[in-house]
Amino acid sequence: MNKEEILLKVEEAFVVVLEHKNFKLTDDTTANDVDGWESITHMMIISEIEKVFNIKFKLMDLMNMNNVGDLIKTIQSEL
Amino acid sequence: MEFIKRIGNSIEKHFDHNALCINNTFYTYRDFAIAVSKIRTAIIDRIADSEKIIGLVTNDDLETYASIIALWLEGKAYVPVNPSTPLERNIKIFELTETKYVIDSSETSIYNDYEVIVSTNLTDTIIDLIPKACLGDQLAYILFTSGTTGLPKGVPITFDNVGSLVNAIDAEPEFNLVASDRCLQMFELTFDFSVVTYLFPILSGACMYTIPKNAIKYFYIFKLIIEQKLTVLTMVPSIINYLRPYFSEINTPDVRYCSFGGGALHNDIAKEWSDCLPNCKIFNYYGPTEFTVYSGFYPYHKITNQKAHNGIIAIGTPHKDTTYLIVNEKNEEVSVDTTGELCLSGPQMTSGYWKNEKRNSQSFFTRSENGKEVKYYKTGDLCFKDQEGDFLYVGRADFQVKIRGYRVELAEIEFHAKTGADKKNNIVALDIYNNLGNAELGLVIESEKFDVEQLFDYMKKKMPNYMIPTHVRFVKEFPHSINGKIDRKELRKYFQHK
Repeated sequence: MNKEEILLKVEEAFVVVLEHKNFKLTDDTTANDVDGWESITHMMIISEIEKVFNIKFKLMDLMNMNNVGDLIKTIQSEL
Repeated sequence: MEFIKRIGNSIEKHFDHNALCINNTFYTYRDFAIAVSKIRTAIIDRIADSEKIIGLVTNDDLETYASIIALWLEGKAYVPVNPSTPLERNIKIFELTETKYVIDSSETSIYNDYEVIVSTNLTDTIIDLIPKACLGDQLAYILFTSGTTGLPKGVPITFDNVGSLVNAIDAEPEFNLVASDRCLQMFELTFDFSVVTYLFPILSGACMYTIPKNAIKYFYIFKLIIEQKLTVLTMVPSIINYLRPYFSEINTPDVRYCSFGGGALHNDIAKEWSDCLPNCKIFNYYGPTEFTVYSGFYPYHKITNQKAHNGIIAIGTPHKDTTYLIVNEKNEEVSVDTTGELCLSGPQMTSGYWKNEKRNSQSFFTRSENGKEVKYYKTGDLCFKDQEGDFLYVGRADFQVKIRGYRVELAEIEFHAKTGADKKNNIVALDIYNNLGNAELGLVIESEKFDVEQLFDYMKKKMPNYMIPTHVRFVKEFPHSINGKIDRKELRKYFQHK
């Protein structure tokens, strides 16, 4: 799966959890840039992404994840 | 006040110890003492002696914590307001408490109509931690919780109330903080659970670790546990619900105590969590804001002490000087094993809701015991006492729900949603559970689908973030039960499928 395909699926996971589409995800996007993306919804998004990609993140990776770019890199490493 | 004197002594005794770790910066008790003294001097210089209730903007910094102690040393109370809560609600709180002065460490204060003391920009002064004489019945803080009528409800707590909490925890041999402890302080200072997570570390000269406001809370807590080797955790149960998928990666032998409170702790997750903390004592605390944070606890142990009802861990027994009583609708005591409303009595009880006589007559009653009139607070929690004298939690008697430990009245959300809606729709707020087992808020609107942006903008102006529903459903016609009431159980089903 290439990066664009991953990003598309990640965006879908965001929509499922946040119940809106008012955002554009890039490598530099952080929780401050997306309406409704905070501690609780972050956990739901992570759980949704694990389901969609059929992967399991490691706590150590999640702990140091700062933006969408980090998220995508971690997904790539798990696939 | 004895406990305030002890705070001063502890700060002085531990000058070289760390007091706070905020966003990777450490502050010693000496730094803390300097900040306290500067703010105290400003309070003396600028606030009239007669002004006893002072607003405090709760930023995550040294000055905000120091302000609480400075106010207490001067015999004054703090009314905390969270900077991310709508200004309108915070102003309402200041109006209700007739607050004229606000201590604010923000870069630019938005409290233009108030006398603001900027706590970050004060001149040096000598350290003075000796408390001014004050009476125990003076207020230490007033916290506001969700109210059913659309107005937040104020709970005033006196120095005597806080002193009694300190006495009760001191009397408990199972829990003793020491100066080398590293303690999690994950709570907003507007949330009463924070009182125990700053007060007890300060009284023992231990270090508190806070959570930056923009951090992903759950992972940051884990990071602190791992990197800073925290020894004392105080949390709401929802934290471990979210960390649960990763428990197999957690093994933290440094943690000595883990206290839960502010919501139901489930037996199965407590056991799994306990496996992650091999050297830790787990306490399941119970207590409402009206009773100064904690009124008692159950000492959980995954093998020897796992008493539960419907999977919810027991709340145990009341601590020193507190009495629990289970009553029926007529406020009469019920027998052992019978479910009723849990009522509390003792020196930690608030004198009553702030300027709210109607509410007070509903929530408090007196009872004759051994020729004395004893006042009780009705918690709204349904419980029973078992044969061994332990108390077990059954459910709520009303429509109050817990969202991440915060008490939320569904009626308050419905009030603001109905006021903010263009048409006069029927609207119901519900607590629904996500697939990680935590409560979230759902809003059901009786209508054809419409754009809710305006409605949500309105609600966000009226209520703090945790009270804003995260899910919306439209239902053309609400289902009703046989007796004509809206069938909330049936409405809940609309949230089961996305």
